[in-house]
Amino acid sequence: MNSSSGEGRHDDDSALAEFLASLMDYTPTIPDELVEHYLSRSGFHCPDLRLTRLVAVAAQKFISEVASDALQHCKARQAAPVKDKSKQPKDKRLVLTMEDLSKALREYGVNLKHQEYFADSPSTGMEPSSREE
Amino acid sequence: MSDGGRESGTDNQTSSKKSKVSGGDEFGRAIAKIAVTQICGSTGFHSSHPSALDALADVAIRYISDLGKAANFYANLSGRTSSNVFDVIQGLEDLGLSQGFSGASDIHRCLASSGVVREIGQFVNTAEEVPFAWPVPRFPIARIPKQTSSFAQIGEAPAGNHIPNWLPAFPDPHTYIHTPVWNERATDLRTDKIEQARQRRKAERSLLSLQQRLACNATAEFMPAIDGDAGKGKEIVTNNPFLAPPLPYGEKEVSEIVMPKVDADEKKLSVLETFAPAIEAAKNGSLTSLISEERVLPSERPMVHFKFGIHSKSIVAPLSSKAQNAKTDSWFLRDDEKDDKKRRAEMILKEAMENPQELAQL
Repeated sequence: MNSSSGEGRHDDDSALAEFLASLMDYTPTIPDELVEHYLSRSGFHCPDLRLTRLVAVAAQKFISEVASDALQHCKARQAAPVKDKSKQPKDKRLVLTMEDLSKALREYGVNLKHQEYFADSPSTGMEPSSREE
Repeated sequence: MSDGGRESGTDNQTSSKKSKVSGGDEFGRAIAKIAVTQICGSTGFHSSHPSALDALADVAIRYISDLGKAANFYANLSGRTSSNVFDVIQGLEDLGLSQGFSGASDIHRCLASSGVVREIGQFVNTAEEVPFAWPVPRFPIARIPKQTSSFAQIGEAPAGNHIPNWLPAFPDPHTYIHTPVWNERATDLRTDKIEQARQRRKAERSLLSLQQRLACNATAEFMPAIDGDAGKGKEIVTNNPFLAPPLPYGEKEVSEIVMPKVDADEKKLSVLETFAPAIEAAKNGSLTSLISEERVLPSERPMVHFKFGIHSKSIVAPLSSKAQNAKTDSWFLRDDEKDDKKRRAEMILKEAMENPQELAQL
């Protein structure tokens, strides 16, 4: 029992070590300097570059998951109303909007609210009779 | 991926204004925004709203900071100051708990074979590698503060024996001793007044010469032969212009009047400026150099008809009477439509004469 678990741990350790080594070949989209800056700001201290790469890859994975969820929302929105006259869903450009992003982020626990529009004053657009002079 | 689908320009401006207000982290945020844009592009988006990109970059920065905070927490919990891979894996598990990962419910799970690591491994294997577009320097750049030099470095002897010379030097005395400041320019009121009177006399002289020229204009053929100095304006005519008969209308081609483009609202018009083109043209012998946006004086005869008032009223009176006589003359029938321009120029001249400060420009 102990020996099998010991061997299992060996495999896990070696797998982890291999994975970390493979990280050095992969260049994440988020640059290392940026990750190091924000990690040092939050108190993380490690001179090992592989850990920095691990954090960078993890962040990239997170963002790409959010982006792909937003893409699904965007495609679902385009597919629903099928109009043959004006726009064709296949050719329409995929635009990342705040709406899709907030829907995608809600599943990850991030509540994102976006102002619809900004008005000049609290009484903009109201009827002149109801405005306080 | 292009930032094609933008919101209105105001939103763009407000987002740029916000970035100016946010403070010193702008560089990091800009880099994060670029990285996030690249990730979105590789996901499949063609374009994006800039506010959405800002929000996503903010989320990415928060994720990295939270991961670092969690890893640091776990390291401190274990009695260490630097984090290791297991701290990071535990931090990843904390952040990913809302999504869930395989093996989360195992009691005796080993961190090395944690589900998060496997998922990241799968991501690395499947996702295409998109490196960051630009080289990023190390930031923030630490600046070495300038050290105050010591007595020994300056070469100054300290004020007393009790002060060693390796201490920083005292600041310069002018930084803490107040010395009164005097205005060096000597304002001599008398010379100012003399200068003012001289300039006024110059102006009067130039106007007098103009009046003489106008007097010639009204009665005779005008031969402009003025020597170059603006103040003097002496006329050298071959025959006596006062005795020559007036030309009937149509015999001589009268040139179109060109008034320099003057702004009626502009009070500060100097007399010299108004007549500078005429004087310049007279110097050159031809009047084609008179300023005019549309029309150029073709012939050599400037028909200038001014009314202006100066201190001595006696000069004004005969001129205005002459002007009225001249109005009845058939010559001026053509120039009716230019009268108001002339009148405007006269008004400006009058104002210039009334303002003694303008004479300083002469």
